[in-house]
Parts: sequence; C-alpha cells; structure tokens
Amino acid sequence: MSKEIAVVGSPDFTTGFRLAGVRKAVSVPEDEMSAELDETVKEQLESDDVGILVMHDDDLEYLSRGVREAVQQSVDPVLVTLGGGTDSGNLREQIKRAIGIDLMEEDEQQL
Amino acid sequence: MATDVKPTRKNLMAIEDRIELSERGHDTLEKKRDGLIMEFMDILDQAQDVRSELEDTYDRAQQRLDMARAMDGDVAVRGAAAALKEHPEITTQSKNIMGVVVPQIESTRVRKSLDQRGYGVLGTSSRIDAAAEAYEELLEQIILAAEVETAMKELLDEIETTKRRVNALEFKLLPELHSNKEYIEQKLEEQEREEIFRMKKIKDKKEAQERAEREAAEAESVSADD
Repeated sequence: MSKEIAVVGSPDFTTGFRLAGVRKAVSVPEDEMSAELDETVKEQLESDDVGILVMHDDDLEYLSRGVREAVQQSVDPVLVTLGGGTDSGNLREQIKRAIGIDLMEEDEQQL
Repeated sequence: MATDVKPTRKNLMAIEDRIELSERGHDTLEKKRDGLIMEFMDILDQAQDVRSELEDTYDRAQQRLDMARAMDGDVAVRGAAAALKEHPEITTQSKNIMGVVVPQIESTRVRKSLDQRGYGVLGTSSRIDAAAEAYEELLEQIILAAEVETAMKELLDEIETTKRRVNALEFKLLPELHSNKEYIEQKLEEQEREEIFRMKKIKDKKEAQERAEREAAEAESVSADD
C-alpha cells in the first residue's frame, strides 16, 4: 500500500514542501500552535495513509507531553524533524537507556 | 530462598534441568544482544551521516525558497505550489536484521522534471524551479532519514527487550534456581543424616534387646540346671 508524506508546521515551513508536491501539508499559524498543533498531529498519527510525518524541531515544544512522546516513538508513521541539528530528539535518551552509554556524546566530543 | 519447594530428588532433577536450560538461554540471549548492538553501531554511523546531510539540504532548500520569495513574491511561490499535480508517494517493504523487521522505504514521483511540476513555465522564474528542486532533494533525504531512524528505533526496542531478558535470567531466575537447588540439597543431606541416625538407634535398640533376651535365656538355663 502506498503512503504519503505529511508535513505539519507554520505556513513558512510547509510552503516549500507544497512546492515539492506534498499534498498533506498542514499549516498551523504560529499564534495558534499551542492550541491546535496537538490535534493536528494526532490526526496525522491516526491517519492510515501517512508514512512519514515531517515537523520542525522547534514546533515539538508546542505539543503536550503525551502527544510528543507518542509522535517521537511512533514507527508508522515515523517522525522526521528538521532544523534541530544532528541531535535527533529522544533517540539519544533511548540509546542511553538501551545501550547504557551516551553514544552521541562521544561523537560530539570527537567533532 | 524459596521454601515452598518440596525437597525431593525429583524436584532437584527438574531444577537442575531448568538451570541448564536457563544458562543456555542466557548465553544465547547475550550473543543476540551483542550482535544487535554491533548492527546498531553500523546504523548509528549511517544515521548520523544522513542527519547532517539532511540538515545541510534543509538549509540550502530554505535559502532557495527565501530567495524565490524575496524576488518573485510570496503569492507567486504559493501559486506555483498550489498548481502541482504530481504527488510523491512512498511504499514500504521490510528487511530482517537479526530477527528485527525494519522498513525499506521506496519512493515514487519525488524528483520531477519541469513539465511534470504542473505550473506554467512562463509565469514562474528559475528561482522557483531551483527552490522546488531543492525541496525535492530534501524529500529524498527525509525518506532516507525516515528509513534509517525507524531501523534505529526498532533495533533499540529489541536491544532493550533482550537486555531485560538477559538481566531477568542473570539476576532473578538463575539465582532463584541456584538457591532452590542448594535448599533441596541441604534438606536431602539433612534427611539422609537423620535416616542414618535413626538406623543406628534402631540397631542399638535391637542389639540391646537381643542381648537382654540372650542374658534372660542364659539365666533361665542356669536355674534349670540347678
């Protein structure tokens, strides 16, 4: 079954993706983020035809704790965040928990 | 120590079998955990490369979009974006890494030629084309990052589960089984000692009884002779 890429974020963030042909680009104005983002992200998470969800790393701050954890741990659709540097969200915490060592810290020190 | 175990030879044998099985399982799970960590290390390197490339591509795409907006206006860019007819789609297949199913994402219609984009060539500038192209490249990177990061999440979940199982065997089940085995062995030894003591007592009692009978018989024969 083919799926689509969904983009959720401010109108500035989603325009470029619309230009690349992304149909499910949901714009949420900055001043409505804290009120509407939770619901919009939940909708995309529950949607069967979304395979990848793209968001700006800063926008994750507007999400409630539960939705943020759900979206970060979700595998289908998988969340890809942009603009947050090389540290990819809660993956670092998960690595620390599973392996017992902060592997990303080692890489940061090497850089 | 679990004192609810009945100290019988049958139970001792059953516990010894369970210890053997658990130790074998523990070794196998440890090997699996180490193997998964090795696989994870490979993917982590790959993921970090993909991530840094993704961030570079995103910065580049944003710059091009900002340029198009500044020169052609926001309305022109939004107009071109609204005219697009071809939409990128992804299909997911699965790959197996040491029993962990990770996705392989394939994409279609991400990269488009100028005429496939659907907006008129005359009404738009090359800056919009450049921005669209940069975002198409970004989508390709996003798909790659999604594939690698999903694989990482799946592998981390499996590593965590395996680690928990190894720890449960090592720190809970095996110590419990060993302590049960020790308890049964001690009880059986105790029973054996009691049994020996009892037998000795019975033997002494019988010997004393026989001696008394013998003496009584001797005394009887002496009095009969008299």
